[in-house]
Amino acid sequence: MRLSRRDRLVLFSPLAVLLTGWLVGPALLGLLSTFTTYSPFTTSFRFVGIDNYLAVVRDPQFAAAARNIALFTATAVPLEIIVGFAIAYLLREPFRGRAGLRVLLLLPWLVSPIGSGVMWHFLLGTTNGFVNFVLGWLGFPDVSSPLGDLGLALPVVVAVEVWRLAPFVAFLFLPGLSAIPRDRWDVARISGASWLHEVFDVALPAIRPLLITVTMLLTGFALGSFDVVLILTGGGPGTATMTPALYSYAQAFETNEWPAGAASAWLIAGAVLAIGFVYVRLASESDSK
Amino acid sequence: MKRRAALLTVALFVFLLPLAWTALAAFGLVPDNSSRPPSWAGSFSLEHFGEVGVAEPAFWQELTTSTIAAVTASFITIAVSYPAAYALARSRSRIESLVSPAFVVLASLPAMSYVIPLSDLMRRVHLLDTLAAVVLSEAAVTAPLAVYVLHGACRQLSAEFEEAAVLDGAGLARTLILVVLPMVAPAVVATAIVVFVIDWNLLLVPLVLTSGELKTVPLAMSDFFTFERELEWPVAASALVISLAPVALLVALFHRALQRFALEASGPESSDE
Repeated sequence: MRLSRRDRLVLFSPLAVLLTGWLVGPALLGLLSTFTTYSPFTTSFRFVGIDNYLAVVRDPQFAAAARNIALFTATAVPLEIIVGFAIAYLLREPFRGRAGLRVLLLLPWLVSPIGSGVMWHFLLGTTNGFVNFVLGWLGFPDVSSPLGDLGLALPVVVAVEVWRLAPFVAFLFLPGLSAIPRDRWDVARISGASWLHEVFDVALPAIRPLLITVTMLLTGFALGSFDVVLILTGGGPGTATMTPALYSYAQAFETNEWPAGAASAWLIAGAVLAIGFVYVRLASESDSK
Repeated sequence: MKRRAALLTVALFVFLLPLAWTALAAFGLVPDNSSRPPSWAGSFSLEHFGEVGVAEPAFWQELTTSTIAAVTASFITIAVSYPAAYALARSRSRIESLVSPAFVVLASLPAMSYVIPLSDLMRRVHLLDTLAAVVLSEAAVTAPLAVYVLHGACRQLSAEFEEAAVLDGAGLARTLILVVLPMVAPAVVATAIVVFVIDWNLLLVPLVLTSGELKTVPLAMSDFFTFERELEWPVAASALVISLAPVALLVALFHRALQRFALEASGPESSDE
């Protein structure tokens, strides 16, 4: 149906009001305020250019957070995609009990990041956890929680997030994989192709747009990691698991360094928007093909 | 096929063992790692579920707040996203192919990148510590994803039915509600459930908009931990089970509709089962 300009305005305006008032508007006001000394705790403020940003990037705590989140994103996102894809791939064809399996395998995503953090805190802990339960059965002495270990804390946080998000990735991939016509798999099978060929020659080309959209979403989630780290480690030990979001929150709401908090938050937004720019180009190209 | 069964068993084990461990603890069965070899202690009981209300007296109130907030926010998200998604699906393809991925970018934007000014703004309009602010902010968090998914569902519809309805004299609102909505209903239901799950589990948005009176379940859990109060594992596990149960039930009930949650609608859906 052809929509008139007026129709379009009517249809878009409720969304525009919601997003302007509660998402895009605040984000842009925040961006403006990062070039000033604005803070809700003071009455006057002045323009300071990019001083807030300079102060943030010179802060060793933020440097550690940026390094951690780069490592975190570079490992968590590919792992989530690989594990999620593998599950979806195994579930792509109907078989008895598949519906039940789909629901069961989505359960980890239904646990909130906070709930997941609380759960893994205990599971990795000494007294009631399963790590030490298994070690005990094998005759090894108890080990303390890897979350307190400088070198292990970040990998463990990555693993916990992969556990929670890979099922969601599988859920997102499934409709795409199920929609691939049966004869394409058959052709691959008849020609004696291994499962690797099925994955790279049949599955991945068919779900390419889906794959880049999922990658975009996961990258955004990873760069903003907050909840699960807050509960598991609080950013520690030391700054081993500090993330930019935790840093930003602490600056704005705990130490009342509002400008530093707002500026570091916009560095996260900037990173996501930069990746988003590439994503929009990729997505609109593959759309017009 | 044997290999598939074996791999799926491994996946089930890895993804569900932590939850099974938690469920056992909630029902009073906890491992005792101090004995050699470790053994199971405790006996089956339901009393830990009651102890949640002792450790956190407001827990049941918080569960109610979470439910009201997530239900209302999901309704608002769908109500504002569906018309916009339809309009986007019926836009010129050049505009659509640029605007729709922009919604994915908005959906990927971490809440942290805007909640600081959001909390300030809500304070200035005297909406801090109100359910309204929490609900509207949660609705805004999930709206971009909903627009993107629903736009994909609308795009797959042929425009014939709408044109026929308009020729019959139906207005825009009637066409959208009586003609298009029934055809995209499965996608709308699936989107509403996914949005509900996201809202149910949000932390940062309610965190910065409230100062203690109004609490959702994730907020209460995080407070419990950040203030370092002692919490017994079985009680924490019970709280986890209680907070997971509503969303798990919802997903189990609507698992068939959920198959229609397609980020990239591609060709006709293969239906099964």
